[in-house]
Amino acid sequence: MFETILYGFTIGAVLYLFSIGLSLTFGTMHIINFAHALVYTLGVYSFIGFRDALSLGFVPAMLIAVVAMVPLAWAIERFVIRRLYGERLDYAIIATYALLLIGTDLIKVVFGTLPQSINVPIHVSVNVAGVGISLYRIIIVLVAVLIFLGLRQFFRKTVVGQIVVAALEDNEGVRCLGINISTYFSIVFVIGSALAIIGGILYAPISTAEPYMGMHILLLAFSVVIVGGMGSLTGTFYASFALGMLMALVGRFWAGGANAAVFLTMALVIIYRHTIKPRLHRR
Amino acid sequence: MNTLKYPSLRSRPGRVMLETGIVLLGFLVLLAITGFKFYWITDFMIFCILVLSFDLLYGYLGHLSFGHMLYYGTGAYLAASWLVYFNNDPLLALLFAVIVTSLIAAVTGWVAVQTKAAAFALLTMAFNELGSFIVHTPLSKYTRGDDGLIASPGKVFGLLRFGKDTDAFIIVLIILLLVFLVLRILTRSPFGVLIRSVKENETRIQFLGYDTQRYKWITFIVSAAIAALAGGLFVMVQGFVSPRAISTLSNIEIIFAILIGGAGSLYGALIGGVLFMLVKNYLPPVISAAEGLAGFALPQWEMWLGIILLIIVFSFRKGVFGFAVEKAGLLRQSIKSRKGA
Repeated sequence: MFETILYGFTIGAVLYLFSIGLSLTFGTMHIINFAHALVYTLGVYSFIGFRDALSLGFVPAMLIAVVAMVPLAWAIERFVIRRLYGERLDYAIIATYALLLIGTDLIKVVFGTLPQSINVPIHVSVNVAGVGISLYRIIIVLVAVLIFLGLRQFFRKTVVGQIVVAALEDNEGVRCLGINISTYFSIVFVIGSALAIIGGILYAPISTAEPYMGMHILLLAFSVVIVGGMGSLTGTFYASFALGMLMALVGRFWAGGANAAVFLTMALVIIYRHTIKPRLHRR
Repeated sequence: MNTLKYPSLRSRPGRVMLETGIVLLGFLVLLAITGFKFYWITDFMIFCILVLSFDLLYGYLGHLSFGHMLYYGTGAYLAASWLVYFNNDPLLALLFAVIVTSLIAAVTGWVAVQTKAAAFALLTMAFNELGSFIVHTPLSKYTRGDDGLIASPGKVFGLLRFGKDTDAFIIVLIILLLVFLVLRILTRSPFGVLIRSVKENETRIQFLGYDTQRYKWITFIVSAAIAALAGGLFVMVQGFVSPRAISTLSNIEIIFAILIGGAGSLYGALIGGVLFMLVKNYLPPVISAAEGLAGFALPQWEMWLGIILLIIVFSFRKGVFGFAVEKAGLLRQSIKSRKGA
């Protein structure tokens, strides 16, 4: 049981790292960015590439992979998403999905379709109350919590962060102040992508790297964004861990049902928000 | 701003029959051009029915769904189950598939139409994932999981056999024409105008006193029912259904077809469906030939799909049919102005 709870926290941490970027683009630009899944998958594969080509350790390879993906993330935002900004939303959705298709296929050509396994970098297990638990998983959770705290400071204390928070609230209002929000959107987009890659690389040793890995987590992360509230940074954090825990608990008793439970929760939240809540408020 | 054109709301029977005749002629010509490969064109037409159903939801109502394969796949599995577990009457199987899928869509659609745009896209996608999981795992006793169900339909009215290429072609052609006819009447009816107005500006329609939620819901159900019909026909023709039929990943193929043909018009949907199937059937041999020349593995199908999609989104939004209509309009104008001068 203890292991299940830790597993829930681990999944929650990975979901959180992935969902931040999704939630921010959703909150600021109102589009669902399928290319987020592409950046995530490419990040993990470039990690494998750098690790093997330069025979690097886990952390250096991870940092290089993140840095290497920054220009790509920037280019996606600058040349695809921004060009479609302000037009009908489905075009941006379809264009980012097209990018995901192209990228996934390129990965299949370069690395093949077979899943790539990555060794867990830390094999130490900590003994807590007679149960041995993996230190690596604890580290993943800690990283997520630290990033959450760091981001909170970033959004509260720095000018860039405050502008983004303001833009989440009222896009037009910020623009009326004469602030060029597209620059800030770019910054936020790149940060979100980098965090997703970190999450992906940390998660890869526990799962496996395969070309459709981004696609699989994307839907779960979208559920997180819906449950946590679009563009809500704290909401995303709590929703990630809640849904991660749900997945672990359901998965313990019925392995196949984990994803189903998450989607069901999302449907219930949507029903609640759109039909039950307005009726309660009317009274 | 693109404004809606409102042709006469009463569909003139003569005009409707003429347009249906044009579609019939189009498919017969296509059959002749591709060298009378009946099974090919049958596949094309089934896909066209699916694209037509999607057009109602996306082109007319303006809701981009990433979970349309759920209804196609559900229809396919239900029809196959009827044949395997009840009796081998194909028409009863299709009816069963369409009715039960509509009931399912009534539930999922009721949730889905509460949302818009991106949320709608991903909610429907999540439902599709859920559905393909249910078919694959909890129901694997009945659906036989990855192995799929093998179904053998009996004769239609004791005359036509789905197993025979020409018979299957005739049945599917008749059903396609019926679907076209129904959609042609529906989209030009007051109901059709209303859902197109919802696409343009939903709030304004609400101000006029319409319960837009209900109209969206009905459209969703009709669209799902037609998709289920396509899925059922697929089973009849192939005699087989596997989890591929309900796969979320195939949704992009429908979206591709509708975009390349031109969303928001039935002809656009038909042209898109045919173009997509042509590309799908002719591209793989071209790629493998190019691989033979280049000497190394080339990206497969999905990548080219992605590249064409990007091109469409950035510079070819009207699709083939929209483009043709626009050019024809310009031509007519220039002729008119020349006459006036």
